[in-house]
Amino acid sequence: MLIVVDPHSGVPVYRQLMDQVKFHVASGLLKPGDELPSTRSLSAELGVNPMTISKAYSFLEREGLVERRPGRPLVVGGVSDDDARTRRVEQLEESLAPTITVARQLGFSDDEVVDTLRRMLDGTKAGEGSDDHTDSADKESHE
Amino acid sequence: MSIVTFNNVCRAYEAGIDVLHDVTFGIERGEVVGLLGKNGAGKTTLIRIAMGMLAAGKGSVEVFGLDPRVSPVAVKSRIGYVSEDQILPPFLSIAEVLDIHRGLFPTWDEEMAMGLLKRFSLGPHAKLGKLSKGQARQVALLCAVAHRPELLLLDEPAGGLDPAARREFLETSIHLLNEEGATILFSSHYMTDVERMAERVVMVHEGSLLIDRPLDDLRENHCVARIPSGNGATTETLRAIEGCLGVRTRSDGLHAVFALAPASAGALVAERLGVQGADCRTVGLEEMFIELAGGQS
Repeated sequence: MLIVVDPHSGVPVYRQLMDQVKFHVASGLLKPGDELPSTRSLSAELGVNPMTISKAYSFLEREGLVERRPGRPLVVGGVSDDDARTRRVEQLEESLAPTITVARQLGFSDDEVVDTLRRMLDGTKAGEGSDDHTDSADKESHE
Repeated sequence: MSIVTFNNVCRAYEAGIDVLHDVTFGIERGEVVGLLGKNGAGKTTLIRIAMGMLAAGKGSVEVFGLDPRVSPVAVKSRIGYVSEDQILPPFLSIAEVLDIHRGLFPTWDEEMAMGLLKRFSLGPHAKLGKLSKGQARQVALLCAVAHRPELLLLDEPAGGLDPAARREFLETSIHLLNEEGATILFSSHYMTDVERMAERVVMVHEGSLLIDRPLDDLRENHCVARIPSGNGATTETLRAIEGCLGVRTRSDGLHAVFALAPASAGALVAERLGVQGADCRTVGLEEMFIELAGGQS
């Protein structure tokens, strides 16, 4: 599992960790039953205080995303198809939100934003421009 | 239980000029606290007072519930200390310096000492005077931790080290946190190290305590508001807003640090000063530090 943190960003490290685990779960890279790295190994690997990892894991546990079993590694919890879909929608909304803000700041109307998005989506579909590249990169990240 | 408490600590080197002024904070068992401040802000003085190397002028300090000036041996035997300007006797070998520490501390853990020596790839026969700065700091850290102290006081432990040696020092500290758990107070100018290690940040500025917050809280509930010049806000009116920690005049306007989440700070600036469009953002520690301690322009 690929986790990268930027301790220098304005976003707390524990939150960066949570966001990435959530993303990996939503994208299917992490599946129910998959084990998460131990606090100790992730702390050593990322070079951050183990308490930070514990904090992220506790919040994920509280949100029902992961399950703790005594003396065993933390695992990704089981999810219903509905929940899985909801999470994917949440992830998508989260990443689109800044785009909407920028679009408004640049003075585009909602219709123009939707049109632009549609044009770009069509572009990646029809084999124009960079689609091959995007597709293969997409597949790799799911394996 | 508090491991260290500073109660209204004042200290002056010259009469009338406080190096520390009324500093109060505590460190709980198991906490890792990063101590920030510009050169001369009073960080080293604070750490030396906790070590009992200096006395508080006014106020009091307790370490493990004891006064380090009254019970120096009882306190020091439970502390590990590393500082940037620590000098190890250059004519001794690593083995000899370890012998001395083994003799001084009944709690000395030989297995841990050997484990760290191996981790650092240091041979016991090397003379301390022949070591690189990074290696010498590693030996200092080894000596500071191998008697299993309950408290580590690290005064700019990575100061003067190259990036690789600094990273190695950080990784060893994290290794120790993982293996042993520890209460740590460390001062540093390397904000990334503080961001990686500390759960709590204490910042002293011109001798006074300016900030004492969990690191995550500093990032989530503190922000810098940038207010373009020419809309009536002034340093004084901004400072009068509750939660404002400091204001700087910059070429692009005023920068104010608030102990508030960005949305709340923006709303408050709009409400109080009628200023719309303040750009409020959470920032990393370095930027926060500069906004609070940096000069005016």
